[in-house]
Amino acid sequence: MKASHSLTLRVTMVFVLIVVLLSAGLGVYLYRSFVMEIERRDDILLLGKMRQIQQLLGNAGTLDIIRERPQYFRDTMSGQENSLVRIVRADGTRLIDVNPHDENLVLPPPVAFDAPLTARDIVSWTSRDGHPARLVVASARIGQPAQMADISVARVYGDRSAMFAAYRWQIVIAVAVSAVLAALLAALMLRRGLRPLHSIAAHAALVRPGKLEQQLDARGAPTELLPLIGALNAMLARLQEGYARLSQFSADLAHEFRTPVTNLLGQSQVMLARPRSSGEYEQLVSSNVEELERLSRMIDSMLFLARAQHEEMLPDKQALQIEEEFARLADFYEGLAEERQLALACHGSGTVLAEPQLLRRALGNLLSNAIRHATPGSSIVLCADASLEHGMTLSVSNIGPAIAAQHLPHLFERFYRADPSRTDSAASSGLGLAIVKAIMALHGGEASVMSEAGSTTFALRFPV
Amino acid sequence: MRILVIEDEPKTGDYLLRGLAESGFTVSLARNGRDGLHMATTETPDLIVLDVMLPMMDGWQVLRALRQQAAGADVPVLFLTARDEVQDRVKGLELGADDYLVKPFAFAELVARIRTLLRRGPPREDEFIRIGDMEIDVMKRKVSRRGQRIALTAKEFGLLHLLARRQGEVLSRQTIASQVWDINFETDTNVIDAAIRRLRSKLDDPFEPKLIHTLRGMGYVCELRAQ
Repeated sequence: MKASHSLTLRVTMVFVLIVVLLSAGLGVYLYRSFVMEIERRDDILLLGKMRQIQQLLGNAGTLDIIRERPQYFRDTMSGQENSLVRIVRADGTRLIDVNPHDENLVLPPPVAFDAPLTARDIVSWTSRDGHPARLVVASARIGQPAQMADISVARVYGDRSAMFAAYRWQIVIAVAVSAVLAALLAALMLRRGLRPLHSIAAHAALVRPGKLEQQLDARGAPTELLPLIGALNAMLARLQEGYARLSQFSADLAHEFRTPVTNLLGQSQVMLARPRSSGEYEQLVSSNVEELERLSRMIDSMLFLARAQHEEMLPDKQALQIEEEFARLADFYEGLAEERQLALACHGSGTVLAEPQLLRRALGNLLSNAIRHATPGSSIVLCADASLEHGMTLSVSNIGPAIAAQHLPHLFERFYRADPSRTDSAASSGLGLAIVKAIMALHGGEASVMSEAGSTTFALRFPV
Repeated sequence: MRILVIEDEPKTGDYLLRGLAESGFTVSLARNGRDGLHMATTETPDLIVLDVMLPMMDGWQVLRALRQQAAGADVPVLFLTARDEVQDRVKGLELGADDYLVKPFAFAELVARIRTLLRRGPPREDEFIRIGDMEIDVMKRKVSRRGQRIALTAKEFGLLHLLARRQGEVLSRQTIASQVWDINFETDTNVIDAAIRRLRSKLDDPFEPKLIHTLRGMGYVCELRAQ
């Protein structure tokens, strides 16, 4: 399994990466434009110096000054920037050569005297100690009468490299500092930004089975978290509903078990209180067996419902002939119906896609109920009705006292009894219709009931 | 027929021992899996009733060990389980059990299953069954008492045939529903009672002695009882 990442860590890393990339890019851009600007200005100065020398040499008497006070002229020529200057006359004699470090100058062809000087005429070279350097060569007139000479002006930019290096370091430091700041700020902001999540977590930690009604507070939460809070609250509501139903169910179950257990305990204790005849004991044991069978059936039904609800049972559906199924059930219940002067009638045909045992169980439960509640002398009708829209509907109808409207929505609930005082509770577990509903849910269909004007119809609708 | 019951729950063990002995079997009881396995191999019973939840060595382990031994490879095993889970049943049958019952079960049902397992193979179908003065011609589906023909519907005949061919055996309502109507789920027990009443009205009411008897809380049995 992959280790879980901290969201703060990940977002901070991304944020820092973005800041580093941006500030480094900006730094590189600024550095390059700075370097270009400095180089441009240095080239302008170099060309200026060249023009200055050309002009100076053109003046009358300059040649005399050179001869008489060469040192002064050299200082003037070289200037404060310690430029390298070489003036070579047309006959090859060096009039001046300022080259204190004996740099090896490779001279390009000179620019003609009357041609304009541009930065493009400057060539780059490298000094002996490895510094960048620039050189320009041009022709000039010297003295009166004029003679031609080639002037070379060059400069070594040792101080400039050091400055650029310092500037680079500054940029690196700035990038590093902004990365650290970005990390700190991002972490801080995220902590603040994620505070609503922490409060949700703190709230969720308080949720207990009995305290599900506490909803998460959406007030003050950022918009992005509203769907999460909404979903969590919906989940809590569903859990609460399920939990309430389960609690109610456990209570009902305990209550339903109480009656048979009370009977078992009571009648056994009464019998044991004094000596009895063997006939009386036999009577007791038989009665106990009946109560226990009732409990046993209830347990079976409960297990069935529990499994059906967990959808462990995936029905193995088959196409079943409805006429056959009706006939089988009618055959089974016929005897009981006849004893109560009831007739069973089957209408309709076709096929239904269902698990045979489950279908029979559902229809059987409905038939049992119908026989129990039908008015003697009437008919119970099993009917199949196919429609394109609603699929196959199987119904069981009986004539008998109508079920009051307020009971209808609850009939399929476990242990719900329309008449709580009814004495035949021994015969029905109160789970029959809940089982019918569960079976229909397993088939993706539904069970419904209609009761009016002395007739009650239970319908099982199977999907198309 | 000797039956070995391996069951740790004291009351269950006691009543199985007593009930099966009274049903005519020779029964021995082991109260844990290890003793059970030992007795299964030394006593060579004809059938083993095995509880799944056992201390020290559970039913599955006993079954597996038993099937690996020459002495216990063939003996029929009926296992009892309290958990009605499909996986459990499948597991038991895969390990070589022959049948199972889910607790709580009707005692009559257990006896019926044991008898079926011991019969091994399809039960012999008699063409004629005679109980007291009642005669059943299975092929012609005719029933008479004292030579007097009794008209039965198909299902009534099916019910009587079931009771008669398992004469003396208590049949639970569930067994009857399953065998006669192929209804294999919990139903209104009144249905079977009604069917028996109808059969009695034709078969027993006009005649003496009565042949179909009710065992309250257990089911029905067909036999000729001494007056």
